[in-house]
Amino acid sequence: MISVKRVAEVIHILSAFWVLVIAGIIFVDVMGRNLFNAPFLGAVEIIKNSVVSLTFLQLPLAIFSGGMLRTTLLYGAMPQGVQKILRTLAGLLGFLFFAGVAYSSWGPFLEAVAINEYEGEGALRVPTYPVRLLVVLTSIFAAIVYFYLMILDWTGRLGEEHGVDLAPMKGGH
Amino acid sequence: MGPEVVIYTFILLVILVLLGVHIGISLGVSSVVGVWLAYGDVEIALSILGSTAYEAIRSDALAVIPLFVLMGEVLSRAGAASDLYRLCDSALKKLPGRLAAATVVGNAAFAAVSGVSIASAATFSRIAYPEMRKLGYDKSYALGVVAGSACLGMLIPPSVLLIIWAILTEGSVGALFIAGIGPGLLLAGAFILYNVVAVLLKPSLAPNAPISAEAAAELRTDDKLSSASTFGGLGVIALIVLVLGGIWGGIFTPTEAAGFGALGGIAIGFLKGMSFRQFLTAVIDAGRTAAPIMFLLIAGSMYARLLAVSGGTGMINEFFDSSGLSPFTILIVMTIIWLLMGMIIDSISIILLTVPIFVPLAVAAGVPELAFAIYGILIIEAGLLTPPVGLLVYTVKGTVPDKTVTLGEAFRGAVPYWIIILIVAVMILTFPAIATWLPSQTF
Repeated sequence: MISVKRVAEVIHILSAFWVLVIAGIIFVDVMGRNLFNAPFLGAVEIIKNSVVSLTFLQLPLAIFSGGMLRTTLLYGAMPQGVQKILRTLAGLLGFLFFAGVAYSSWGPFLEAVAINEYEGEGALRVPTYPVRLLVVLTSIFAAIVYFYLMILDWTGRLGEEHGVDLAPMKGGH
Repeated sequence: MGPEVVIYTFILLVILVLLGVHIGISLGVSSVVGVWLAYGDVEIALSILGSTAYEAIRSDALAVIPLFVLMGEVLSRAGAASDLYRLCDSALKKLPGRLAAATVVGNAAFAAVSGVSIASAATFSRIAYPEMRKLGYDKSYALGVVAGSACLGMLIPPSVLLIIWAILTEGSVGALFIAGIGPGLLLAGAFILYNVVAVLLKPSLAPNAPISAEAAAELRTDDKLSSASTFGGLGVIALIVLVLGGIWGGIFTPTEAAGFGALGGIAIGFLKGMSFRQFLTAVIDAGRTAAPIMFLLIAGSMYARLLAVSGGTGMINEFFDSSGLSPFTILIVMTIIWLLMGMIIDSISIILLTVPIFVPLAVAAGVPELAFAIYGILIIEAGLLTPPVGLLVYTVKGTVPDKTVTLGEAFRGAVPYWIIILIVAVMILTFPAIATWLPSQTF
């Protein structure tokens, strides 16, 4: 079986390298425009859509490895049993949130396919449905990651790689 | 339900954040609940999720965050922090407390490229603190300068906080970057002045003599500035000049500057002998840092939307209008809220929670927007130093390679910097031109 962690890592690495591609596109665009009067057509459209895509592709690993920001002021002061309940509450809300994002993004995706929604002008018209679909799929996966973390927690398999310090801690976030 | 929805959702938001729910999730869930209370319709409430997730960050201007984060990660891996420190140290040979001054300048330059004050505090705790101790510097004095100077980074562009502030207020990222330069230099100058004066008054703070024969030997081998360090340090400074100068001179948009900055950082890294493996780690870590920030921006936009559709922003403005509070009192209230929040949550979350509400109030009170942004960022950073729970001070205490350091010593050292930041913040409000003059020349 493919593990949740593996999928999260692979899509994370792919999107991390996509940032390099964006930097390259910017370089070609600026150099081309200034030196040869030949800008990179569609650079803005590509970058815009890339920002959304790579954020969503990177989220699952960020969730999995405890990269999401939170405060542990109260949490840290609680006994372990209460901490576990608070983690579960946090996980449940994370799950519901991303399930909600996936659910409410599905309709606009179908509509974008049905009406052939495009953006951009002239020769460079970019369909919007691929990024919309990506948001749906990665949100479902993010919800799964939250759920999976809860299972790990309740079966005693949650550890440091998930950014959870099981010993009570002071301050910090 | 009317605008009072905002009050209920704000209470919910605070409870969720305190319970340790991820801050972005807290913002999103509270926004959905708020819209649901306002319209009584679950479908409408949920639709805010999908539409904001797709639209909030679909902007080429936002590519600056992943690109600058990448530049910072690569330069960190390539050892830029210690290069900058050594370069500044050798440039400041004659100054009393020179290592403290070198920490301020090096940290300012490094934080400018890394963009995250906690990260630069952690880095300089490992690099600068041991060096200062070897020369017999006072513990509190050495800890304070590391924590204090890390705050500088949030002001000196390209800083993530400046980007987020500009995006939330629909302002120009470039203008805010340029607005940060004057106050950043002023603050750095004030920090160094404090270092020098403190040492002149009490020379035992920084005796500048090796504490043992062992330390003396280590220092002799370290003392020679290697050509790789010089290259690395100068390279980073050149990169900062290219990025900021390019934006100020109108050659680059901030996004273009970020693209060139990232590629330039990679070039410097490889020329300095960064391994391909280190490069890979940097690219992957950059994603891990950038994604949660972008997610917070999405969630923050959901919350801003709730404030707008429920009429909450209007209600808050009216409340302050009818309260008869003077603009001065309103500023004091905002300042206290920021300082208190700095003890609980990170700077980015504070900005997301408060800026959509505070900025209209400040503008109504007659404060220029750019100056208010710089003021706000200074106060929020000061909050990270505030005893007894300032996050930066905990970071420094936790990362210095010296187990004998107590939290009390760290806080004692940080207090003077806390006071200096507040003084500079008040100066910006009194003389907004410190922030607004430079951008007014181009933007």
